[in-house]
Amino acid sequence: MQLALENIDLRLGGKDILRDVSFAVDDGRFVSVLGESGAGKSTTLKVIAGLLPQDSGRVLFDGTCVDDVPTHKRNTAIVFQDIRLFPNMDVRQNVAFPLKMRKVPRAERLATADRMLAAVQLEGFGNRRTYELSGGQQQRVAVARALAAKPDALLLDEPFSGLDEQLRAEMRQLVSRLHAEFGMTSLMVTHDADEALTMSDRIIYMSDGRVVQEGTPADLLLRPASDVVRAAFNDASSIEGRVEGGIFMSGKLCVSLADLAAYDETRAGDAALVGARANAPVEQVAPAIPDGPAVLVRVPDRTPFVHAL
Amino acid sequence: MVLPALLLLGVFVYGVGSGIIQGFGIMPFLDRTEFTLEYYEQALTRADLLGSIMFSLYFSFTSAILATVGGVALSALMTRARTGRLTRLFGIQVPITTMHAVVALAVICLFSGAGLFPRVLHVLGAAPDATSFPSVVGAPSGWGIIAVYLWKEIPFIAFMTITIMMNISSTLGEAARTLGAGSARAFFSVTLPLCRGAILRAFLVVFAFAFGSYEIPFLLEPTVPKALPVLAYIEFQDPDIINRCYAMALNGIMAGICTVLCVVYYVVLQRDGKRKRGRR
Amino acid sequence: MNAPLEKRNRQTLLEKRKRQMRRATAIARTLVGVELALVALPLLVIVVWAFTDAWPWPDLWPQAFSARGIEQALSGRQNMGWDTLALSIGIAAACAVLTTAVAALACRALCHFQWRGRDVFQFATILPFIIPSTVFAMGIQVVFLQIGLARTVPGVILAHSIVALPYAIILMTDITRAAGTHREEAARSLGAGPWQMLRHVTIPQLLPGIVSSLSMCYIMSFSQYFLTLLVGGGRVQTFVLVLFPYLSGGDRTIACAYSLVFLVVTFAVFLIFELLLRRFGAREEGSLYG
Repeated sequence: MQLALENIDLRLGGKDILRDVSFAVDDGRFVSVLGESGAGKSTTLKVIAGLLPQDSGRVLFDGTCVDDVPTHKRNTAIVFQDIRLFPNMDVRQNVAFPLKMRKVPRAERLATADRMLAAVQLEGFGNRRTYELSGGQQQRVAVARALAAKPDALLLDEPFSGLDEQLRAEMRQLVSRLHAEFGMTSLMVTHDADEALTMSDRIIYMSDGRVVQEGTPADLLLRPASDVVRAAFNDASSIEGRVEGGIFMSGKLCVSLADLAAYDETRAGDAALVGARANAPVEQVAPAIPDGPAVLVRVPDRTPFVHAL
Repeated sequence: MVLPALLLLGVFVYGVGSGIIQGFGIMPFLDRTEFTLEYYEQALTRADLLGSIMFSLYFSFTSAILATVGGVALSALMTRARTGRLTRLFGIQVPITTMHAVVALAVICLFSGAGLFPRVLHVLGAAPDATSFPSVVGAPSGWGIIAVYLWKEIPFIAFMTITIMMNISSTLGEAARTLGAGSARAFFSVTLPLCRGAILRAFLVVFAFAFGSYEIPFLLEPTVPKALPVLAYIEFQDPDIINRCYAMALNGIMAGICTVLCVVYYVVLQRDGKRKRGRR
Repeated sequence: MNAPLEKRNRQTLLEKRKRQMRRATAIARTLVGVELALVALPLLVIVVWAFTDAWPWPDLWPQAFSARGIEQALSGRQNMGWDTLALSIGIAAACAVLTTAVAALACRALCHFQWRGRDVFQFATILPFIIPSTVFAMGIQVVFLQIGLARTVPGVILAHSIVALPYAIILMTDITRAAGTHREEAARSLGAGPWQMLRHVTIPQLLPGIVSSLSMCYIMSFSQYFLTLLVGGGRVQTFVLVLFPYLSGGDRTIACAYSLVFLVVTFAVFLIFELLLRRFGAREEGSLYG
């Protein structure tokens, strides 16, 4: 489903939370909304899900205005930062909840729930109580629950920020894999530039309720529209190198072009590498990295280094 | 750290316990130490006891159930209406602050023979004179008692549930809506079940209070049957101190009925506690 | 496409949904309004009756007003007056402070420490909820007579505190649990002594709970009739004891006048607590709608 916002304005409590926000997410894409806290990112998700009605502007799903559609009929699903599993239900019931709301027969919805749990690598956890699970497991249940809704748009509200670094990396891979597998239009809010770079097709940078820049990861990284965007990527996470035969090389580092998160084609032969995709095969990134995907970071006056995610 | 509380609770248990013991005829201060079930027998075979128990159970259960339904509804409405602090102050705190007996007086002023409500009915042509309206004082149906408890306890139940309901509805209720539940569905399948512990607790508090308090039945009840606490106090006041044993036996019966509830409460508390520990 | 028409269409869709949401809110608001009216009605009747001189059937409004009820209620005749009021307020205040302090300690033990018998203790704290206070009152009277606490002010305060304790504990449990101990640990690591920690960290973070507990215990003690009657034995005359006989008496003006004084005093104290609460910046709902 193609998702679009047109000129959304929203005031809450006398403050402008969103100002003239417009962007579109093409069908099946994974797009990140990046920005500092308080930039209006989460509010944007709430407007899309219909939890907060905007003051003006409109929300379009596949070109149709959905402003009059209440939340529960919009067929979007949010994965919340604070997880929000229902403690009065077991894990399977949680995942089956959206199907129950859609009046799917019991046997079918439980089967689907188990399938979704398998997809998030939680086979056999169906009968557990939600509070028996670890934080990472709970968040995976939340992802499974959102997927079970077969949402037209999957909305992720800082889904990993409550987890520790190790888990976060695993969850990123998992979500990227699930996105590739299920192919639903996804919009993720994050304040983590690495996360946005490595996971998204496109990035929307928001600041103070406005969209500051929208583009591919490479666009934002290599051609930031303003200082705030540049600062978000820590001034430099790109690394200079050469491209030969579909391989990017910089010093000892060799990465397949297909695995680059961003790559400045305008400088073919002398490209800037910024990061590897979350699902990049490890050995192609660099032998030095223990495992997992990585971002290459260059800080001025320092040797470029590989930052494992 | 728990010593002061233990001390207070100790006094409570000691007080209740020594009362119950007196019900078995043991009054050390009168040099009576013989255990006897005589007073319980007397109390239990008393003709009007069953009537009193039933009457007490009837009006306290009715009050507690209606108050719970009303209180949860009020809590949900206030959550939905996003009422301000002032509204909650007036709609919830003011009734909690008001003394029960004063509410009884107000109910008398409103509904007794010469009260405001019969007057309004009269003006509307529905009641010819002051006696045609069913009296609120001494009504066998106890509706005056129930009315007082409802006025007091609906806000109390709301008070006990509104914070948790607001929290749940703004997090889990919101999550349910994004997953395809309409507001009513989200309320009944997520918010309400999660408030169940708080609601049940509030219900039991209201029931036990209505069941065990003296003032309201004393002011509004019919001559027969009398509410249990009133019955017990009448015996307690009797100049013949032996009648105290009898009063204490009645108290023992009251405490017994409440203890059964206590066990229910304990089970609920345990289950709820387990759940709470797991909630994020 | 016709541009102005399309623009109107857009607005109406959004407007339609907003109208629906507003209507649902309006219905909820109306019902809450009905509840407020139902709360107000009995109180207003009391106020009107307190000043009524004559109100013949079937008039809807009194024929004549007078201040005789209020005058009597405040004049000091018949055991009543400022002394009684002062005594009642004193007892209620003492009960509020005692109960809240005890409850604060108990909550701390319940929320932050694991110890043997904790569950039993937690269960015991709700006993006064379940066992009727009339049963307790009749039982404790003899005990207090024996140990000389009956018919004394401390005895009444003690008895009131016991009955108020579970309410105080319920009111303070959640906030104690939410406050946790990490701020105290931080304070201690920064060199705060036990008293400094109590003054600057512990009490401030529990303040909303403390204030609502104080307020609740105060009200409970102030309006406690039966327990005061039995433990006070007629010697400790609180406002309620004086008020109560009038409630079942024949003179409605006097009864309502006493009730009005009672209401004004409780609300006044309650409002003081509320203002305190607000002054100390307790905003329980602060983050709910953000």
